Amino acid sequence: MAEITLAAAPGRVTGSAESRRLRAAGRIPAVVYGHGGEGVAVSVDGRELRHALSGESGTNQLLDLRIAGESQLVLTRMIQRHPVRHTVTHVDFQVVRRDEIVSAEIPVVLVGESEAVKAVRANVEQVLSTLTVRANPTKIPVSVEVDMSRLEPGGVIRVEDLPLPDGVTADVPGDEVVVLASSGELQDGAEASGDGEGASSSEEG
Amino acid sequence: MLMPRKVKHRKVQRGRLTGQAKGGTTVNFGEYGIQALEPGWITARQIEAARIAMTRHVRRGGKVWIRVFPDKPVTAKPAETRMGSGKGNPEFWVAVVKPGRILFELGGVSEALSRSALERAVQKLPIKARVVARASQEEVEVG
Repeated sequence: MAEITLAAAPGRVTGSAESRRLRAAGRIPAVVYGHGGEGVAVSVDGRELRHALSGESGTNQLLDLRIAGESQLVLTRMIQRHPVRHTVTHVDFQVVRRDEIVSAEIPVVLVGESEAVKAVRANVEQVLSTLTVRANPTKIPVSVEVDMSRLEPGGVIRVEDLPLPDGVTADVPGDEVVVLASSGELQDGAEASGDGEGASSSEEG
Repeated sequence: MLMPRKVKHRKVQRGRLTGQAKGGTTVNFGEYGIQALEPGWITARQIEAARIAMTRHVRRGGKVWIRVFPDKPVTAKPAETRMGSGKGNPEFWVAVVKPGRILFELGGVSEALSRSALERAVQKLPIKARVVARASQEEVEVG
C-alpha cells in the first residue's frame, strides 16, 4: 500500500472557538501522537483529507504527513464527526513505523449466496461488520471477504474461518461469530407464523 | 409497550432539550436506520407504532433494533381538576431524543424494502427524522 502525502500546518491554537473558525475556513483540526512523543496539534485541509481517505483503503490509508517540512508516517486513528451532518470535525493521526505491527479495523464483505440457505428462506445476519486485525501498516488488507456459498441453514461462520493474508492476524477471539443463518422459515414453523413481529429485538439507548 | 421495570423516582421534572445527541449517532447493528433531526419526546406508544409499521411492511425476515428507551415518566392531572393539590399521576413514558440520535435500525432486507419500511416508521414519529445508511456514514465528508 503506497502512502499518500498530506500537508499539515503546525501551531494550531486549541480550543472550541478556534477550531470552529478553522472548520469555517475549510480546515480540519487534528492531533498527531505516537511512539512516546508529545501530541502535536495540527490542522489539515478538508478537501485534501477527504481525497486521501476516500481511496480503496478508506480510513486505513497509510499517510505521509508533512508537518513544516518534516515527514511522518501516520495512520488515521479516530475520526470525530458532527452528530447530524456527519461531517468530519476532528482527526487523530498516530505515528507508525514500517516495521511494527499495528491494529486496524477492516470491513467484512459478504460474497456469494448460499443455495441451501436460500431454499429454506433462512435469515442471514451479519454480526461482525468490521474485523480488528493486527498487521504491518503497509500490509493492512482493504477488506476481508466471507464466502457465503458454504453457509448452511442454522450454521455460522466464525472469525477462525476467515481467509486472512499472510502476516495478518485477527485481534478478536477465533470463535466469535461473523455471520449466522437461521434454520429457515420452511424448517422452523414457529418463525413463519405471525406478522413477523417476533423477529424484532430491542436495544436500550 | 416499552417501560422501565422499576424506577428510583416515580415523578421527574421536565428538563431542557438543548444541544445535540452525545452518543448513539451511528448505525451500528443493521444496515439502515432512522436519525432524529429535531429534539423531542417520543412516547412508548409512538415507538411501538413505528415498530409495528416497520415489521408489518417487511413481513418476512429482517431484524429491527430499537435504539431508544422510554425511561422518563410524564404526569398529567385529571380533566376538570382545580389547580394545586400536588403533581399529577404518571400517565405515560417518553424517550428524550436530541438531533442526531439513531432511533431504529433495520437489517437483513433489501435496500428498497428497508427504506420504504423506515419511511413508514418515520410517519409515526412526532419529530422530523430521516433514513440513513450505514455505508454512507463511513464516507469522509468535510463541512
